[in-house]
Amino acid sequence: MPHLSDLYRTASLLLRDRHEAEDLIQDTYLEAWKSFHRFELGTNCRAWLFKIMFHRLHHVRRRLVKTSRLMTIEGPDGQDELAAEPVVPQEIRDEDVLNALEKVAVEFREIVLLADVEEFSYKEIAETLKIPLGTVMSRLSRGRKLLRQELAEVARSYGINPRTKQAGATETA
Amino acid sequence: MNTLSFDAKRCERIRQQLDSYLSNELLVETASEVVRHLESCENCSRDLESRMRVRDALQRAFANRPVPDGIRADVLHKLRESQPRSFVRVGARRWALGLAAVAFVLLGLFAAEWLNLRRGEQLIASILKLGVNDHLICTIKGHNYPETPNPPDQIRKKLGPRYAPLLQVVQERLPGFEVLEGHLCSIPGSDRKYVHFITRGQSTIVSVILTERNGASLPTGKILASAESAGLNIYQDHLSGMEIAGFQSAQYFAFVVSDLSQRQMLQLAQGLAPALNEKLHTTALMPTPNTNNWAVDSVNRPILTETPECHEKSRCEVREQRQNG
Repeated sequence: MPHLSDLYRTASLLLRDRHEAEDLIQDTYLEAWKSFHRFELGTNCRAWLFKIMFHRLHHVRRRLVKTSRLMTIEGPDGQDELAAEPVVPQEIRDEDVLNALEKVAVEFREIVLLADVEEFSYKEIAETLKIPLGTVMSRLSRGRKLLRQELAEVARSYGINPRTKQAGATETA
Repeated sequence: MNTLSFDAKRCERIRQQLDSYLSNELLVETASEVVRHLESCENCSRDLESRMRVRDALQRAFANRPVPDGIRADVLHKLRESQPRSFVRVGARRWALGLAAVAFVLLGLFAAEWLNLRRGEQLIASILKLGVNDHLICTIKGHNYPETPNPPDQIRKKLGPRYAPLLQVVQERLPGFEVLEGHLCSIPGSDRKYVHFITRGQSTIVSVILTERNGASLPTGKILASAESAGLNIYQDHLSGMEIAGFQSAQYFAFVVSDLSQRQMLQLAQGLAPALNEKLHTTALMPTPNTNNWAVDSVNRPILTETPECHEKSRCEVREQRQNG
């Protein structure tokens, strides 16, 4: 079954409940099966399946939105780019990066996953999420930065000052 | 090199491009400008390295995330249940037809995926992207090769004892091409090292680039096309206006990059792969080259290539950019 692992992992990182993720995957393949006649052979199967999954996910999200912690953090970005650049630790464990990702608001998290893990193009992401290209770019930039900020927090929680560590490393390189 | 003298506004402008650079969404010219800046700016280079580190960590964590064993069976079960109610009760024939329909759709998805691999609408691994940048910057933009081929002994010396034996393979397995240059190089902002051969033939320049895998693999779902050559899968993609074809050995990625057609590139890679793979197998057993082979700048960061000419050229480009800017 093509791309099931990728779809499941993505779903499980966007929904808080494992069973919801499994339901979403089942619904996705069911929908793909029903609408297979609309699929154009030779086009991107993986992008098509992700598009279906996110279409279903938005239904789920609309149901959850009243009780969830969805945040809307749209706004100007990049003005403090140089001053506020978070410094992430040199060594990043799997659990650290996944915990950090979970703290990133879902509308940014999904774009980070699509761009950085699935390596979809901006255009494919825009089509999958049905949002403008500019929104993809701004949310990706913001999402990545939020993730770096969370990772910098992780380092601090361990009593590591990554800025000091990195500066030291540079001097001795 | 005084990196502190760089205009903060330029750094800010470059950093605004870093996300698109990381996603390979910049035009070649803009990407080249970013790379040139990174070569000269330690802070921006460190910033990019930090972003790449987070992305790599995320990809690794994602790949390690477990998938429940039973989910495939559950999906199939749900597909079967979605049939009309009579489907469950009627005889074996209709039941078999239903299963056949499910199988047909899944087969269709597999076929679609196969066609997709052939068409290559997927992005390629960041390692290959850096390799393409290496070709674009070092070969095309930097023109870091002579008009007449460098003597083989000189090339072997630059490659060091570990990689010098590869020269003969490239010379022999790329018929109609002459090896102009061979060296070890690196892209600013990345720790990854490349063994880089620059060859000329068929009215163009072709780079042969090798880099250690360090446990990474070419992602099977993100590859344009596959073919076989002596049991090795040959991968192809199109990136930044360049065609790429290559393979992975036990410890290395090896690929050719140029503006030739997909078919021509596939032929080159197929001709090169078996012998190169065999040589890499023995090469991997040899000691790591002396790190002095890698050129570094004043902050001990690898520069684009290890030749003095390249070093000067890179500096010149930066100076020109400053003057023009």
